[in-house]
Amino acid sequence: MSQTTLEPPPDVESEQIAWYRNVETLRIVGQVAAVVLVVGLLFWLFNNLLTNLNRLNINTDFGFLSRPTNFQISFDEGFDPRSSVWQMVLVGIKNTFLAGIVGIIIASIVGLVIGIARLSSNWLVSRLATIYVEAFRNIPPLVIIIFFGFAIFTFGPFPVLEEATQISWFGSDNTALVLSNRVWGVPSLIAEDNVGIFWAIFVFAIVAAVGVAIYRTRLSDRTGVLHHRVRWALGTFAIIALAGHFIVGGAFSASWPVVSENGRRIDNGFVLNFGYISTTVALGLYTASHVAEIIRGSILAVPKGQSEAANAIALRAFQRYRYIVLPQALRIALPPTINQYLNLIKNTSLGIAVSYAEITLLTKTSIGNGRPAPQSIAVLMAVYLLFSLTISFLLNIYNRRIQLVER
Amino acid sequence: MKRLMIGLVALAMIATACGGDDDGGGTSLLDTVIERDEVICGGNETLPGFGVVDDAGNFSGFDIDFCRVVAAGVLGDSSKVRFVPLTAEARFTALQSGEIDLLIRNTTWTATRDGQEGANFLFTTFYDGQGLMVPASTGFTTLEDLADANICVLTGTTTELNLTAVFNARGIPFNPVQFEDNTQLRPAYEAGQCNAWTSDASQLAAFKATIEGEGGDEQFIMAEIISKEPLGPVVADGDTAWAQAVEWSVMATVQAWEFGLDSGSIGSYSGTSPNILNFIGDGGFNPTLGLPSDFAVQVVSQVGNYEEIYNRNIIPIGLQLTGSPNDLWTNGGLMYVPPYR
Repeated sequence: MSQTTLEPPPDVESEQIAWYRNVETLRIVGQVAAVVLVVGLLFWLFNNLLTNLNRLNINTDFGFLSRPTNFQISFDEGFDPRSSVWQMVLVGIKNTFLAGIVGIIIASIVGLVIGIARLSSNWLVSRLATIYVEAFRNIPPLVIIIFFGFAIFTFGPFPVLEEATQISWFGSDNTALVLSNRVWGVPSLIAEDNVGIFWAIFVFAIVAAVGVAIYRTRLSDRTGVLHHRVRWALGTFAIIALAGHFIVGGAFSASWPVVSENGRRIDNGFVLNFGYISTTVALGLYTASHVAEIIRGSILAVPKGQSEAANAIALRAFQRYRYIVLPQALRIALPPTINQYLNLIKNTSLGIAVSYAEITLLTKTSIGNGRPAPQSIAVLMAVYLLFSLTISFLLNIYNRRIQLVER
Repeated sequence: MKRLMIGLVALAMIATACGGDDDGGGTSLLDTVIERDEVICGGNETLPGFGVVDDAGNFSGFDIDFCRVVAAGVLGDSSKVRFVPLTAEARFTALQSGEIDLLIRNTTWTATRDGQEGANFLFTTFYDGQGLMVPASTGFTTLEDLADANICVLTGTTTELNLTAVFNARGIPFNPVQFEDNTQLRPAYEAGQCNAWTSDASQLAAFKATIEGEGGDEQFIMAEIISKEPLGPVVADGDTAWAQAVEWSVMATVQAWEFGLDSGSIGSYSGTSPNILNFIGDGGFNPTLGLPSDFAVQVVSQVGNYEEIYNRNIIPIGLQLTGSPNDLWTNGGLMYVPPYR
């Protein structure tokens, strides 16, 4: 079989092959047909929607977004019922983001630890990790959220807010933690008047930290000493930021949670409600089981020779993971993990089961109170799309940066 | 781009859902229902007294009985009805999309719903008002006692808007906790996650009876009623024939009550009152409402008159009929129907 018999000369090709057998032509025809089909279908469906809405005398405009909501949002004191639906959407985005981002952090840390633990040579550790993964991976996230909402809060061990458990801050009179079946209070920082100067110093600290990191990297390249750039950068940042805090005379002061006199609210501090805690922790732990499997698979995908080489140069187990295995494994793990992060964000919509005021619950509330459903759902979809695209965009940039340069 | 496409396709799915009957205009839902020989009725399944489903999957309740009334009136058989349980936010979409023929789900008649939702509200079957319930041990009696309170409310309901409007008007700060349905709300309330529960007074009475009946804490319903909640059947806008058939079937229960006819006596009426004879279709009187001439007899003999339906469903949850707005107009109530002649 020589090449020439398979590939006729170009001029012969165009004359001899009929268009319906020409792969090039067929490819274009296929693409055009697909586009026409999709666009046609969309047009038909959209037209159907508009026609039917008009027939039923239902508005199809988005004017409702600027009209007042007339309802209050759970655990959001700042929200005025006279605010527009747009502002409600923003609150929903904020709440979805808060659940999503903390969920992602929980999922990443727990997932990494469990993923490594599954490969542990310690029988007990690896078995426990396996039980964790199988338990969480095989239960629908909605059920886990409801379990957290009901088992931890509604039927759980925490008292009502009037008799909340208050845990003091290491011997002082300040309450560090208020626990009830409704809300939890934790301390927070509040900005003082001179916080502006502090932020300037803060920015300077970041710049200095980046500078130190670059310097350490170059030094390492030049002389071969371990760069420890993260340690150096964090240290620089911490020292300058702390110095800044004290130089400007306390830019922040601690705000301790206090149960109000009538026992119905928590003043000061940062207040977490039961819906938020249930949603975030449940989704974090659920997604962690998936992330753990990805981490485990990625570690196994690193060639065995790498670990053996690390052992051969007498690296400790921690060093072997930190410098040899994980950098290569995480490179493999990142793309599927992005997928899990996106899933987590989308799953926050299940927070409605524990009355967490994220964007889906608010949209449903708004629809129930007379806003048009098709338009509201369109806005809802756009919000999730925005979240997903932003996250995958940012992480794809990161992914491209850490990808091995291949030739 | 691909994801955008998926988004658009999803939007389009909603479009098809809304496109049940594209031809519209020509045929009435009344003909469709008669041809199908079944009424599809959207209702509640979690509200004692109005709509509940038992372990065997049977629906019962005040609203459910009015679904049966329509089936008896239009099709002559009160069992030819299929119930679709709906959540508060899903109900109007289900009605608009043609998924259900009729919505009787303790739905308050408001201007916005009448206008924007493409809904047509018919004869009010129950005059309700919004109240607040607290555990009796708290000793709260007025709205002012509830400053800063967590108040449990169903999401997407008029009660949510009333609550906000009334508390804001009086300058009482509060925190609403929005639940999707009563099966989630009730345990949260009983566990003290909320200080109070607001809903239509009839619903609160029903849950007070259930909670106390099951050995829970004693409950107190505040005397203050903070809204008007007229509840009744709803159909989609733009179909007069179907709306009339539903409305007159429902009103027949009140008319029968006014005539003193009940499920036992209507079939064997032997008097000579011309109004009653018209009503029971004797002599072939038919005002061409699209209903069989004996529809009133079918409705009342199979399901009962208004008083019977009320006694069967509402009395057990502890709301008296006598002296309430739901009493007959001749007794000082609001139940008043146009004459059938």
